[in-house]
Amino acid sequence: MSLLQIEPTNWIYAMWSLQPVVILAVTALLVLGIDSLSPDSRSNRLLAGTATAGTLVALGVTVWYLAAGTGAAGSGGPISLFSDAIVVDGMGLFFIAIFTSVAALVVVASVDYLEDDDNPAAFYSLLLFATTAMSLMAVSNSLATVFISLEMASLPSYALVAYLKTNRGSVEAGLKYFLIGAVSAAVFAFGISLVYAATGSLLLPEVAAAIGDVTDLAGILGVGILMVAGGFLFKTASVPFHFWAPEAYEGAPAPVSAFLSSASKAAGFAVAFRVFAVAFTPALDVAINWGLLFGILAVVTMILGNFAAATQTNVKRMLAYSSIGHAGYALIGLAAITAGASAANATVMGAAMAHLFVYGFMNTGAFLFIAMVEYWGVGRTFEDYAGLGRKAPMASIAMAVFMFSLAGLPVFGGFFSKYFLFLGAINAGFWWLAAVGAVTSALSLYYYSRVVKALWFEEPNGNLDALDSKPTGLYAAVIAAGVITILLLPGFGPVIETAEAAAAAIFA
Amino acid sequence: MVPPEYYLLLSSGLFCIGLFGILTRRNALYFLMSVELMLNAANINLVAFSFYWGNLTGQTFALFAIALAAAEVAVGIGIILALYRNFGDVDVMQAATMRW
Repeated sequence: MSLLQIEPTNWIYAMWSLQPVVILAVTALLVLGIDSLSPDSRSNRLLAGTATAGTLVALGVTVWYLAAGTGAAGSGGPISLFSDAIVVDGMGLFFIAIFTSVAALVVVASVDYLEDDDNPAAFYSLLLFATTAMSLMAVSNSLATVFISLEMASLPSYALVAYLKTNRGSVEAGLKYFLIGAVSAAVFAFGISLVYAATGSLLLPEVAAAIGDVTDLAGILGVGILMVAGGFLFKTASVPFHFWAPEAYEGAPAPVSAFLSSASKAAGFAVAFRVFAVAFTPALDVAINWGLLFGILAVVTMILGNFAAATQTNVKRMLAYSSIGHAGYALIGLAAITAGASAANATVMGAAMAHLFVYGFMNTGAFLFIAMVEYWGVGRTFEDYAGLGRKAPMASIAMAVFMFSLAGLPVFGGFFSKYFLFLGAINAGFWWLAAVGAVTSALSLYYYSRVVKALWFEEPNGNLDALDSKPTGLYAAVIAAGVITILLLPGFGPVIETAEAAAAAIFA
Repeated sequence: MVPPEYYLLLSSGLFCIGLFGILTRRNALYFLMSVELMLNAANINLVAFSFYWGNLTGQTFALFAIALAAAEVAVGIGIILALYRNFGDVDVMQAATMRW
């Protein structure tokens, strides 16, 4: 059915459901507009205020839609628009809520970071364009929109990583991120073209329907699915396409690292969950057992990420490897999918979505704490962090919360999300994934607690004298992320219920 | 009509040439050209199988892919320019202040 055949009232209703994405895009253009109207005035705070307001409004609308059940099974089902290329449902809205929350925190934290910057409008608008594209990724229902929105999210990200263009580390990080991203985009596009060659369609439900009829092109389909998986593994920083992540996260400005390691990773999973659950589940029996592939990669990613993190001396790099480990946990949501077991599939995928939600706050908060330390000009290693707890107690308490929550100690939000994830994996019959996850989580406690030990139990070594400035925006963002991480312990019920209902709708 | 296998052969050949270029060339500009080859291999597939299946989906998507490739080069050239200004070279192995 073409766009014009749909009744106008329905079309407006359908466009209305895409409002969070539209608000983000309009805000990004507004930021650019303000800057071009008064290019000489240094309006960092005005621009940041506009960006924050836009992301918060988008977040509010998304949460409202989620609460009202827009696109949910109970109230009319998923809303599709643009000839089914985009579908707004619970899963898409859930992920948009993650992206907008992370973007709001990062924008607030960037105010102090960009105080002396010549052109803060570029930074905010790139960040907002990337968030817009990620939100589009979450609602993409066609391999074409998946590829376009994924590229639209990647291009601003490359520029953001290389944002400090006179800083060698930042440029080097941007170059490496760009080179690997460009190759993986090409591999991804080739994979899509092979899937199209085998099935004759790019719409996810039509691909799924055509997979049963693929006979002599099953090998082509298998290679295509492998290459598509490669594109997602890059975006989520999973083994074997993880090696850009430590470089990019270490060299990039710390707010950008926070944004990439939380929102960009979640966006990769949003689109991978939808593509593999909707389009490629029938291929499990026909072309390639990608469930087993993701299972093996999840195990390797968890082990490699956590062990490499344990050997780091640089805190930012340690967090980068820990974020690779967390990609391994979220991969369990894909690995535990089996053909025909839709209830168990939905449970474990919902748990992975809830984990990404909690992770969005605790990981963003941790990277923003690093941003604060960079702002003060304290060094980057564990030793440099010694005694920070005495100089900046509130932020250090928040950092301790993030660390213990990331490790999965049973006092913060990170515990429940991991617990439900591993339980879901066991229920789906993948006890070995849960076992590796639990063991690596225990290991992760070692390197997370090293940060807390440095902050609170070690003597300051004389590099903390310059700590008299108080970056308000960074403080606000770190404290907000910390409070939400704590509140997600009692408030985890609604999150996991929303996530599992959204995942169940995908498999229904 | 040319059988579809021939198109697949052509496109995978082009893809492999691009991949070979990425693995062997150290100049960032050659790297960009190699990526373009790989993307165009995908475009050949899309256009050829658009004809084979008798729908326009593939052709339309190929147009979008071409536009995105151009945007990617624009961002890439910008980053390579920053690389040249900081390191005085466009050799991708020069930028190695952090360990891989």
